[in-house]
Amino acid sequence: MDIFLQQLINGLTVGSLYALVALGYTMVYGVMKLINFAHGDLVALSAFAGLTIYVEIFGEGTNSLFIVLSVFVITALIIALVGVLLERLAYRPLRTAPRLSAVVSALGASLVIQNSIMLIWGPNMKIFPSNLFPSTIWTVHGVVFTFTQVMIMGVSALLMVGLYIFINKTKMGTAIRATAIDQDAAKLMGINVNRVIMIIFIIGSSLGAVAGLFIGINYRGITFDMGWMYGLNAFVAAIMGGIGNIPGAMLGGILLGLFNAMISGYISSEWAETFTFVLLVVILIFRPTGILGETIAEKV
Amino acid sequence: MKRTLLRFATSVVACSALVASLNAADVIKIGVQAPITGKYANEGQSIDNGVKLIVAQYNAKGGVLGKKLEVVSCDDEGAAQKAAICARKLVNAGVLAVIGSYTSGATEAAQPTYYRNGVLQTSDGTSDSLTKHKYWTFFRNSFPNSAEAKFTAKYFINVKHYKRIAILSDYSSYATGLADATQKAIKALNGNIIYRGKIKSGTQNFTAVLTKIKSMNPDVIYFSGYYNDGGLLRAQQAQLGIKADFVGGDSNDNPDFMKLAGDSAKGTYLINVPTPDILPYDLAKKFLKDYKAKYGIMPASIWTLLNIDGLRAVLYGVEQTKSTDTKKISNFLHTLKGFPGITGPVNFRSDGERIGGGYMAYKIKADNSYKIVYK
Repeated sequence: MDIFLQQLINGLTVGSLYALVALGYTMVYGVMKLINFAHGDLVALSAFAGLTIYVEIFGEGTNSLFIVLSVFVITALIIALVGVLLERLAYRPLRTAPRLSAVVSALGASLVIQNSIMLIWGPNMKIFPSNLFPSTIWTVHGVVFTFTQVMIMGVSALLMVGLYIFINKTKMGTAIRATAIDQDAAKLMGINVNRVIMIIFIIGSSLGAVAGLFIGINYRGITFDMGWMYGLNAFVAAIMGGIGNIPGAMLGGILLGLFNAMISGYISSEWAETFTFVLLVVILIFRPTGILGETIAEKV
Repeated sequence: MKRTLLRFATSVVACSALVASLNAADVIKIGVQAPITGKYANEGQSIDNGVKLIVAQYNAKGGVLGKKLEVVSCDDEGAAQKAAICARKLVNAGVLAVIGSYTSGATEAAQPTYYRNGVLQTSDGTSDSLTKHKYWTFFRNSFPNSAEAKFTAKYFINVKHYKRIAILSDYSSYATGLADATQKAIKALNGNIIYRGKIKSGTQNFTAVLTKIKSMNPDVIYFSGYYNDGGLLRAQQAQLGIKADFVGGDSNDNPDFMKLAGDSAKGTYLINVPTPDILPYDLAKKFLKDYKAKYGIMPASIWTLLNIDGLRAVLYGVEQTKSTDTKKISNFLHTLKGFPGITGPVNFRSDGERIGGGYMAYKIKADNSYKIVYK
């Protein structure tokens, strides 16, 4: 039983990270019908930016709640800014172009960000200091939690609840939902679509930034090309949950993490990825728009 | 007009051919195929830097056979697909020999291209399959997995008396090869292997597979993959409170292993050929001093020095045969005995295998230095 609970914790930790990243994909897709392939690289960028901010501004070895919070906030602001710039430079000029052009532009932007990270920080692995979070470990009935894991699960859950309330209960959230349903109609209703899209990129990128910092703090080794791996998994999570659907992305991320942990724990670590994708295919056969995806009426 | 054009064209062709042949006569090109970016970047850069250092030293003494040496580098990112492209690129550049690559997978993907074009290749790849093809162009400058596997098995069973052994590898041809060979060697000594699994390199989260291993109560977890995963495995093992010893294969011997493992690096065991700083040879001490003087840091690990020995053996072959005919050099190298290398005497067998070499087991101390525990 303790092994099962341990796998649950393992799966929830990595699942929360996937969910945070998946939100960025799903929000952009929901509003713009565009797969933002550069999103994973923004996650990688945030890990590098966060490390530099910590080391350069606060100095390695220092740590307090204030410093850790500042690192998170400053990094999220920077990545949000990069996200907005990305939209301005790579996606807005192509908004009326065929969808394929925007996808190619997204892939290009991904390469630009990835190679910029490599040119700025070099091709070597960078290592996060181990003292950013206390290295406290709790053991409850043989199940081990670390402080970092609890933070990852807790903060992700808080952010997701916050986002859910923002989207469903605020005026801006209503505008975002309206834009997602029909951009032209939203414009006619007096919604500033450009502003909505900007907000989407700010939120998506900041959530990605939080995920990137958690990845750095938890796994410590960061490389310029790691965005691809997390991006791909989060993209799968978004599809699994129903792309364009915000609770779907959260569910998809958590499920993906859990599946992976349970399959490697109980069946075979070698087959974990294979089984996960088989599961994705099965889900898509029965629910082509994902678990929480809405059925799309054919537009004539 | 047509004729003048034609004459012009032929003269241009003749000129460029002349330039090409002049170039070919003036310099000897040495290729470097290494993972200069990507996961294994610090090993790749170190190999590239090491080759450039040795080449500069040869050039300062007037080159080889009166010709200057020139280095052509290609970054294969440690990936098989990129390696095949690199091989083509280096062959087209007209190199005499290629140093690299660091990983067995990338080396194996490039091997046939060098063989078909008669370009010599020397690599530190330890996968047994590298010398199975018996390509006359290939020379291994390190020692094969099977030798390390036998040493590891002897250490586990006869010295540490491990009763419950868990073996992990990644999917690379090197790591699976080493894990398979070790498994076989342990079974030959009647050892008890309770788990054998694989992780996907670079996925960072290994808690699921480690939790599974935890449920089996091992005495030791042996990992045959690379340092970027090994350090994380060790850190997550400690985090999950798994009491077993952690033993890393040769590719965990890298400073980044200690950085990733953090506090839990202490007490980890590594198995490898002697590390650069304990090599007893004057040539090794001189190389390390020159490297430090030029680049300000030490080479990433022993792999750089092994590749340098490959390069030095090839250049020695060029000097001794007084030719740049790769077939002749290869025939010479196949009978090379006791050439003084920086990692010990260099002897090649007829299939390109380097003979000799002893392994050691190290325990990492609190200050991240190594203590030899078995040899």
